[in-house]
Amino acid sequence: MNFLAASIESLGAKVVGWFTVGYGMFAFLAQAGLLLLEPATWNRATFDVVVKQIYFTAVQILHVFLGYALVISWLIITIILSTARDFGLTEFASEMTIRVLVLELLPFLTALFVALRSGSAINTEVALMQVNNELDALAHCKVPPMQFEFLPRLIGGVVSVVTLAGLAGLLALLMGYLAIYGMNVAGFEPYTRTIAKIFDFRIMAGLIAKCALFGLAVTLIPVTAGLETPKKLFMVPVSVLRGMMRVFFAIVAIEVVSLALKYI
Amino acid sequence: MNKLHFKVGLFAAASLVLAAVFIAYLLHARGFFEKTFHLQLAATSADGVAPGVPVVFSGIEIGRVTTLGLNENGGIIIHTEFLGRNAKWLKENSTFTLDKPIVGGAKIRVDSPDLRAPALPDNATMLLLTSDISKEIPALVERVKAILANVEYLTRKDGEINATLASVKTVTGRMTGEYGVLEGVLGSPEKARAVTDSLDKTRALITKLDALTAKTDQWLFAQDGMAEQTKASLAQVRLMLNDAQSSLKKADAVMANAVEISANVKDGTQDIAKLRAEIDDAVRKANGLINEINKKWPFAREPEVKLP
Repeated sequence: MNFLAASIESLGAKVVGWFTVGYGMFAFLAQAGLLLLEPATWNRATFDVVVKQIYFTAVQILHVFLGYALVISWLIITIILSTARDFGLTEFASEMTIRVLVLELLPFLTALFVALRSGSAINTEVALMQVNNELDALAHCKVPPMQFEFLPRLIGGVVSVVTLAGLAGLLALLMGYLAIYGMNVAGFEPYTRTIAKIFDFRIMAGLIAKCALFGLAVTLIPVTAGLETPKKLFMVPVSVLRGMMRVFFAIVAIEVVSLALKYI
Repeated sequence: MNKLHFKVGLFAAASLVLAAVFIAYLLHARGFFEKTFHLQLAATSADGVAPGVPVVFSGIEIGRVTTLGLNENGGIIIHTEFLGRNAKWLKENSTFTLDKPIVGGAKIRVDSPDLRAPALPDNATMLLLTSDISKEIPALVERVKAILANVEYLTRKDGEINATLASVKTVTGRMTGEYGVLEGVLGSPEKARAVTDSLDKTRALITKLDALTAKTDQWLFAQDGMAEQTKASLAQVRLMLNDAQSSLKKADAVMANAVEISANVKDGTQDIAKLRAEIDDAVRKANGLINEINKKWPFAREPEVKLP
């Protein structure tokens, strides 16, 4: 009987914990959104921090990321093309390539890339600031951490993921054209038709929204996870671990929901 | 100059330009800068047609079904939309067929037999024909079933084909024997040997006949051969016949005299004795003639002329 009660209690604690985390996250997001609407936020100092965040999240890794996107696109396009030829479905190969790569795989991989590189860094940084009372010190010096530390990171994350996913997608479209039609313009007409067929307004809006949500997930979740850290140094790794787990679940959930909305 | 800002600015500018180019390209691809061309298709049934069903010309998609609905008379009106650049494939003599393949989605096929025909005006209404393969399948299956039943009957155990194949096996088995195809046809080596034996005999017979013919030839047609002798005999016969003819003429004259004489019997009897002698002479000559002919010609008759 005690065991059952203990199980129910632990389950209740977990649910409450999840709700707390979710509530904290959305409250933080609402706060950031409200701040974004305030004209006072849009000053030169905030803008500089945003530029810095975009530099560290997107520009610094651009060549590595594009090389990685090139290799994975080329590999997957080749696999899809040869499989389609084996089954006599070549006419569907270009559409399949675009749908798999540009709409699904590349945004997902971009989000994972940014999460592993910048998300973990943000989580650690915020956790250390929290442990070292730096945030309170900043607030004391009239430097609100929300405006100068967190909001730029969120904006940088969203902009970076959307841009990187877009660039990778364009690269994949180019690779797909070259793989299917080679170095000539003969295939431009049918390829354009395929692209026109796939990218209607709904798909484009959905793609951009999905990438923005990815960008938000890989920055918002690490920031809130860092802020939750108890003021003990040994809790920093635990905070990063929790934050990254949540990021992973969030990315998968966004992908699953987007797929469900698109195809069900 | 702030290097960090420059890099981010470059990145942002490049991304924005690329995004703008892609959006412009996408709008062009989707025909945003073109007039759309509308066409209504009248059909009896909307089975398989839904918004988004492609309209294809020569296998290439040129338009799509946008909406479909009923008209006042219960007929189906399918609204289709084409990009302005694709409208040139729609002619007044174009036919529109709804294709429902077994695998894959339905599509509306456009066939324009004469591309020089006048173009269809915007918002025209055309008839939609239907070619439904799935409706022909049951009939096809029935026919295939009948054919399979026939094949089954033909190939059943102890059926004709099996028996024929067994016979063919026997015949070909014999054909591999000593006497080859002949044995296969005749059934056993003994019979085949009889045939070859008789062939051998025939060959010998023909050789003998050859020799015989040569001899006969010699006998008949050579110098002093049978043929030449016969020719000479016939010339003699002709001579003899002439002789006999003259004798008979004499006899005729004698007979005329005799009539005359018998009229004047009383003129003397010594003339009758002379007459008798002459007739006897003629008959003897005739007898001799016949004997002569008989010697030359083998008539199976009595060599005698009866005297009345």
